[in-house]
Amino acid sequence: MISAKSYSSLTLIAAALLLASPVASAQQTIKLGMTTALTGPFNEFGEGNRRGVMLAIDEWNKKGGINGRKIELAEAMDDQLVPDKAVQNMRRILDNKDIVAIIAPAGSGPSLATMDMLEADGRPTCNPLAQSPSVIYPKGKENPPRKNVVSMAITNEAEATRLGQILGKQYKNIGVIHESTAYGVTGAELVKKSIAVTNPAAKVQIESYNQRSQDMTSQVARLQRSQVDAILVVGLGADFAVIRKNMSRANVKVPLFGSTGAVTAPYLEGAGDLAIGTRSVSPDAFGKRPLSAYAQNFVDQYRAAHGTDRWYGSDAANPQISMAAIVGNAYDCAVVLLDAIRRAGSTEPAAVIAALNQTKGLAGIAVPSITLTAQIHEAFKPEDLGLFEINKSAAGALYLKPVVE
Amino acid sequence: MDFFLSLVIAGACVGSVYALVAVGLNLTFWTTKTLNFGQGAVMMLCAISTALLTAQGISNGVGVIAGVAIVALVGVIVERIAVRPALKTAGSMGWVIATLGFGILLQGITSKFFGSQAIPFPEVLFTVQDVIDIGGQNISLQYVSIFVVSILIIVVLEGLTRYTVLGTAIRGTAQDMELAIVQGLPVNLIVSGSFVLSSILAGIAGILTAQISGTVDPAFGFELVLMGFVAAVLGGMGSSAGALIGGIIVGIIGKLVGGYISTAAEHGIAFALLIAMLALRPEGFFGRAEVSKA
Repeated sequence: MISAKSYSSLTLIAAALLLASPVASAQQTIKLGMTTALTGPFNEFGEGNRRGVMLAIDEWNKKGGINGRKIELAEAMDDQLVPDKAVQNMRRILDNKDIVAIIAPAGSGPSLATMDMLEADGRPTCNPLAQSPSVIYPKGKENPPRKNVVSMAITNEAEATRLGQILGKQYKNIGVIHESTAYGVTGAELVKKSIAVTNPAAKVQIESYNQRSQDMTSQVARLQRSQVDAILVVGLGADFAVIRKNMSRANVKVPLFGSTGAVTAPYLEGAGDLAIGTRSVSPDAFGKRPLSAYAQNFVDQYRAAHGTDRWYGSDAANPQISMAAIVGNAYDCAVVLLDAIRRAGSTEPAAVIAALNQTKGLAGIAVPSITLTAQIHEAFKPEDLGLFEINKSAAGALYLKPVVE
Repeated sequence: MDFFLSLVIAGACVGSVYALVAVGLNLTFWTTKTLNFGQGAVMMLCAISTALLTAQGISNGVGVIAGVAIVALVGVIVERIAVRPALKTAGSMGWVIATLGFGILLQGITSKFFGSQAIPFPEVLFTVQDVIDIGGQNISLQYVSIFVVSILIIVVLEGLTRYTVLGTAIRGTAQDMELAIVQGLPVNLIVSGSFVLSSILAGIAGILTAQISGTVDPAFGFELVLMGFVAAVLGGMGSSAGALIGGIIVGIIGKLVGGYISTAAEHGIAFALLIAMLALRPEGFFGRAEVSKA
């Protein structure tokens, strides 16, 4: 039989064990959550985003976390860039009340599908990749942004403005081929508007395709018949490779431009040497050499963790620029959220959002200086984008080289 | 004229691949009255196997043969584990779900072991720059070779089924399986063989299509099998000539609609044709209407 004294001792030991248990310490961590395309045909974006977030968390934890609290990516769920899956995952993430900040999905479709629920929930959220303007400004840029959502993504507007300026200045009859998604449709419309502003006399012909189309003869033939003097593709890498091959078969030799989503590893791998000469706008700061000390540290940390993989590129001394828009933006997202939590001294949504709105001149990877206000929730600006062209190095690797405009 | 010709040539080429898929679907329809809706994954597996093997330095020819051999084996497996058990139950729901599920399983396994990213596919037949001049029109030799290979395979297969003992056995099994068993035909072997042949055709279709697109990923093939199904229904389920003509019609009309009307409507038109055919002539161009005796 247990005596009263033994019973008291056992109770004390149990209480001490409970306090020291992993559950108790886990509640002390600052938890982030994300749903993204970890697998599936578009996992170059989602997995790249996850790596960026993890890199930022590891760095902050090495520096001691925030006020002694470690940071943890509590949920990293896979949506394969499918909106329905993203909604299911986000519901589960939002059900976890310990999660204090969220990284949005890696694309406009799943992001738009989850944004209303995120806005209703109110927890601070950062968009690393989705380019559609409705992600941040659902009622248009002239109205306030979603209160709790900020964006590090290369926005459709910034990209379209730059591409429109470049195309409108140099060409009179421009063909645009876009994928039939929110990203593609909005991107093409914005480029058309930007070209009209730069060169009102320029003609723009727009064609569309479904993602994963195996043959784009119709689109290319229509532009060929219209005698366009340049073609822009707003889409993703693998589809861009199909278009490039179709152009070659049809002997279409006009200058080719791609959106940042298009000029990625699948394009370079799929089109091979045909990709040489393709032009694109990309984060200007990441294309400059030498890199800033901040960006160089990010690059070194990434290489130490993952080596020269498909996100980094094969050249250890020269990381590919697409890394900035995929891994770098997600890294920036995590840093912006953690920095706001640190400055707020709290994980309460209202306090963190207020701190987010006072982010000023924070160092970033793709955007060298991140500034946010209550009205401006997009960090990227058109001037952060430079013009690049795909070249082949002496070692045979394809890379983006800055172009002097 | 150049514009029209380029659309027709591309349409005929893509359509001939749809025809190849349709003939593959017909083969299993003859012997078991089932369609392998996992054919898309079979195409993907063949193309990915070829791409991965050639990336290891194996020659294109050996890579293609190995890829086709792998999917031939998959044909045996799908018949044994997905179709044969499902045929013991009444109705078609069993084999539809089983073959579809098998395809999804294949996709999942491929993603798990080889990643889900697009893999560059080697240029097996000519390069994108190889063209031939016909009447002042530059025609891609890749397109021409895809068309020729597809037609050749369909013609040889039709010859085999019409004029050989094996073909007679297949047709006998297709007409009356019970009588074929009574006559001592190795029906199980014939059924298994039809799935192997169907998978081989799907594999070749996968390789030919990957040749056009230049990349292949685990989700590759799904749209192709839908187009192959449309071609088979249009031509008449079970008819090789119908599959060939149905495939080429779907391909050419798709490209012409894309070229002259709207590229956004290019894919939808195939399904509009399918609906129209099912409403107006369900047996297709070359199929025979089924007669049910009371």
